[in-house]
Amino acid sequence: MQLSVNEKTYTVDETPDRPLLWVLRDELGLTGTKFGCGVGICGSCTIHLDGAAARACLTPLSAAAGRQIRTLEGLATENPDGSLHLHPVQEAFIELQVHQCGYCMSGQMMTAAALLEKNPHPTEEEIITAMDRNLCRCGAYPRIRQAVARAAEIKAGG
Amino acid sequence: MSEPQKTKRKLTRRDFLVLTGAAGGLYLGVTLGVLPFAQLKLAEFLDSSGGPPSNIDAVPLAWFELGADGLVKIYIPKVEMGQGIHTTLAQAAADELDIPWESIRVLNVGTGKGLDDPVGTSASNSTSSLFPILRQAGATVREMLRLEGAKLLGAAAETVRAENGFVFATQDSARRVSYGEIVGAVKNWLIPDPLPALKKASDFRYIGRPMPRVDLLDKVLGKTQYGFDVRVENMAYGAVAMPPKIGATIKNAAAGAAESLPGVIKIVIEDDFVGVVAERRDQAWRALDAIEVTWSETHAWQQDEIEALVQIGSGRGVTVQQEGDVDGNLRGAVLEAEYFTPMVFHAHMEPQTAAADVRAAGATVWASTQTAVGVRRAVAKATGLKEETVIAIPTFLGGGFGQKVNSFPAVQAARLSQAAGRPVHLGYRRPEDFQNGFIRPPSRSRLRAAVNPNGLIEAMEHKQASGQVAFPFLPVFVSKVMGADFGAYRGAQIRYGIPNKRVQAWLADLPFKTGWWRGLGLLPNLFAIESFMDELAVSIGMDPILFRMANLPLDETGARMKKVLEVVREKSGWGLPAPQGRARGMALGYDVNTIVACVAEVSVSGREIRVHQLTGVADAGLFVNPNGAAAQMEGGMNMALSSALFEETTVKDGALTPANFGAYKFLTNADSPQIVVELISSGDEPFGLGEPPLGPVAPAVANAIFALTGQRLRRLPLKLA
Repeated sequence: MQLSVNEKTYTVDETPDRPLLWVLRDELGLTGTKFGCGVGICGSCTIHLDGAAARACLTPLSAAAGRQIRTLEGLATENPDGSLHLHPVQEAFIELQVHQCGYCMSGQMMTAAALLEKNPHPTEEEIITAMDRNLCRCGAYPRIRQAVARAAEIKAGG
Repeated sequence: MSEPQKTKRKLTRRDFLVLTGAAGGLYLGVTLGVLPFAQLKLAEFLDSSGGPPSNIDAVPLAWFELGADGLVKIYIPKVEMGQGIHTTLAQAAADELDIPWESIRVLNVGTGKGLDDPVGTSASNSTSSLFPILRQAGATVREMLRLEGAKLLGAAAETVRAENGFVFATQDSARRVSYGEIVGAVKNWLIPDPLPALKKASDFRYIGRPMPRVDLLDKVLGKTQYGFDVRVENMAYGAVAMPPKIGATIKNAAAGAAESLPGVIKIVIEDDFVGVVAERRDQAWRALDAIEVTWSETHAWQQDEIEALVQIGSGRGVTVQQEGDVDGNLRGAVLEAEYFTPMVFHAHMEPQTAAADVRAAGATVWASTQTAVGVRRAVAKATGLKEETVIAIPTFLGGGFGQKVNSFPAVQAARLSQAAGRPVHLGYRRPEDFQNGFIRPPSRSRLRAAVNPNGLIEAMEHKQASGQVAFPFLPVFVSKVMGADFGAYRGAQIRYGIPNKRVQAWLADLPFKTGWWRGLGLLPNLFAIESFMDELAVSIGMDPILFRMANLPLDETGARMKKVLEVVREKSGWGLPAPQGRARGMALGYDVNTIVACVAEVSVSGREIRVHQLTGVADAGLFVNPNGAAAQMEGGMNMALSSALFEETTVKDGALTPANFGAYKFLTNADSPQIVVELISSGDEPFGLGEPPLGPVAPAVANAIFALTGQRLRRLPLKLA
């Protein structure tokens, strides 16, 4: 089976019902995507499938094959000189110093990035609705909201 | 009863261990006088970096490495679990060293490198305990660099200064030598005697400023290694059978169909332990579920039975505060009320997890733990290895909140690794995590007080009962001597200036494990005391803030409390009408010498409680990093609000429920109010802030609900009738 992750193609020998989460983490070593509940509630394992946010713990490999998978490790891009170009969401999360333990933030940032692709200028209410299914036990919610709004500004060139 | 007095000892030259690396580099450890200095000065070792060498006989509290590249690495034994401790301690060291912020790195090391921290990362003590030590170490290294820099510049010591990574000739700043160049050139270092003075607050570069977190770039890139992310060569995955019911033990077990399932490497069946090792994590889980385990019959505990066990006046009890004549003054119109708080889960996002590589000669364990020393001890005991051959490496934590002082997954991973002869990673599934930890115990508080018409409390009594909090982690004799559990009565003492007061605590023996939960007894006890203070204020028709001000102790703490109350009144709009349909409530808390007041603004719609704004004001002494402190306030208040509104673990048919997130509801983004934080600095010593913000939130919300609806809710989570 072939998987396209962060613009790289991986050939994996797996059963089609295996959750994508464990293949990403344990086989491909992409541990930026986290395990929290295994039942799609906490959002720690949020990735992009063809640009839309999805829960890797509930995504069987068969549903991921042939699609563009993006994980947190693939969110930043490279500048022509080889240096790192952070995604506006990453930039904003640093600017607002959002992370506490940071474990849920991989999923938070992936959800935010997918939101801004779909809706580049979300209202505060739209941000809250989009981010409400990503749990954060450290309680960093106010900063998450501010950072998503700030990321939209950065993305728009601000 | 007062807080235990901290013994403050001034550091001397003999507390430092200085070494020169064979390949260059300056290494300095703070050992608090473990070894005589003369011996240390001559010590040589070949280890070029990576924390203190394993061949020294000292146990440093912190370790500095300066390289010829100008980078300064500090190794500390406190784990980063979201509280920003690495940044705070980097600020202390970098400020006194006087180096550019970019040149400092903070690293954790495992027990094998000597940084043994018996306390662990808990109880809001990391900043307050290590801050002065890292400052003194930084100042000492800077002075050593200055003295050696002067020699390299051919100048007298009194004519050079050290600043921003360089030693300059004071009269001619073009004549300078960098710290890196000095480190590369010097072979013999002398520790100044006496030790140099610390900077004045007016000279601080980083302390007291909102420096950016040192761990954030890795975290936004997904590079940070948490316990669940540990990967070791040739690693297999484990799963362990855990009791499905409270108190159940293994009666017998048979491998059954599990043995022939794909990927299975080893099935381990011992008297008290059943587990499996497989090539893949999900294979291990599938195999575990196929092992036939028979569990002992147990009593099918129900919630009402558990609550009946938590009784004031039954079982072991002890007086923890006693002043004046309470019985003689509790007369006339005595107000009495009883409060209850439920069990709750920690629900850290990263489930409990560890990896272990156990060999005949020793073991390495990587654990998402708040106490590497505890892991080392437990793993050594379980594997039969000598403690000094076990290296426990704490990883970054995906939340801990007190749960991760336990060593269960580390011990289990070690037993599996020992049986399979492979490194094994063990990560709990969420239901396993919920069922197999030390949860916050239930608590009951009964308060009685007499208030005179002027608003002065004549006498107050607080009787409290709780399951264990601290005792499970202490030797048995401690619990025998102490009677009541100091963790359970944390926050139970009455801090107001009441002439006659008494606090008594009872310990309930519960059939399941209870223990540390962020703030320990603070949240349950302050919910009771500060709700009751509101009831007293209402009973005499007095404003709750003025009522508290009238009853403050007449000492320095009382003066700080008054200031905090004044600021929270101003910042929350207290006294101005609340927006239509809303009301405000407030509470005041004291914990680890930190004072936090909170005002909650709430509305209700049907039976739903909505908190719109929390205003939190804290005096935690010196705020080393105001932005980090604000983050602790925001997060801590949100965690407490979650307890106030939603969280409840119950016992049903002999098991803790619910089993996973979702059914176990906690605060989401949409539930989170706007949070306004104000920090009041007092003095030049930092107190803790990891737990104090959790104290006053639940009573502030309950008091606001009373103001709005007239319903006095005395049980968490708050539920409207």
